[in-house]
Amino acid sequence: MENLEGRLTKLALKGDQRAFAELVELYKDKIYHLGYRMLNNRHEAEDIVQETFLRVYRNLDRYDDNQKFSTWIYRIATNLCIDRLRKRKPTYSLDAELGDQEGTDGYSLIPSDNVTPESELLLSETQRTIYQAIDELPVKYRSVMILRYLQDLSLQEISDVLDMPVTTIKTRVHRGREFLRKKLGPRL
Amino acid sequence: MECKLAVSMMHDYLDDDLPGQQQRDLKEHLLSCPDCRAKFKELEQTDMLLFSLMHQSPGVSDDLVGRIMGALPPSRKERRFITWIKKHPALTAASVFLLVMLMSAVTLWKQDGQLVVKGSDLDQVVIQGDTVIVPSGKRVTGDLTVENGKAQVYGEVNGNVTVIDGSLYQASTAHISGQVKSIDQALSWFWYKVTNMFSDVAYR
Ligand SMILES: [Zn+2]
Repeated sequence: MENLEGRLTKLALKGDQRAFAELVELYKDKIYHLGYRMLNNRHEAEDIVQETFLRVYRNLDRYDDNQKFSTWIYRIATNLCIDRLRKRKPTYSLDAELGDQEGTDGYSLIPSDNVTPESELLLSETQRTIYQAIDELPVKYRSVMILRYLQDLSLQEISDVLDMPVTTIKTRVHRGREFLRKKLGPRL
Repeated sequence: MECKLAVSMMHDYLDDDLPGQQQRDLKEHLLSCPDCRAKFKELEQTDMLLFSLMHQSPGVSDDLVGRIMGALPPSRKERRFITWIKKHPALTAASVFLLVMLMSAVTLWKQDGQLVVKGSDLDQVVIQGDTVIVPSGKRVTGDLTVENGKAQVYGEVNGNVTVIDGSLYQASTAHISGQVKSIDQALSWFWYKVTNMFSDVAYR
């Protein structure tokens, strides 16, 4: 039997804008959270959502419905996030740590949400520790951990999204979890 | 069991990737090794915290969906039409004319409810009120078209029978050699007219 996403993509391909809007409704929050955790910035996360859906729309005719729609859209979104992180200047995280918002590249001008005073008030110490630790993870571990814990994907599904062997994914999840455990250590 | 292997199994367990027998082996080791027990507790808590806290992000802007939909390129069909007009600017005026004409056709369709019978061999046909009958034993040579009425065929039609906004009854004795078409909606009627118009033009 055909699933909901498969039906909606077919309708959208025929030019049904409402069907596409429904796909947007189904996935916007998931993609946003993914982008937010990957990039740690609200505006950039929304940009990712927009770019992801634009790409989905343009490539609807290439969607292979033997594949889960979620796998396809997460792959597009994850790749867009990784591209963005690559384009960031390597000094960016250092700038942010030093509280330097006057950098010359665009990213430095956008404050990272976790360091704004209001969000500091809203987050518990444990939450902040986790978010900071995730942010410290190298990108290849971060994407895996986000797909595992934010999107609740199995190792096999993550391997489909990232197009990497399950054994690689497994190693990364283990190392990522070990890293986060050490960071959280005193709070556990 | 070595502690190193036990740790690897703890991760597999948290990933729902540890077979039953090994789960029992791990449990056995945990019961006898306090270090691993403490480590397992930490890993399990890290796992739970990650699941629960990762989902907390600020919400998306209310207008995000609108922005996404607004940023989409025009659909393929629209785009093709626009390209076509750009390539054939001289025809644009003609298509506007055609559109206006079609609009008036719709208006006519709404007003005009009279029975119309068209065919090249109407002598063979009996018309009673709004019913057009091809009696048994009679043969109509050529197409027969009935608009806004009922068609009842008992005899033979050597051609197409088209019923527009009406009904068609075919008796068991009926024989229609061509196509049978029933057009009920304004739109299809429209296309029927347009096609006819173009074939008329083509034949002239
Ligand atoms: Zn042990």
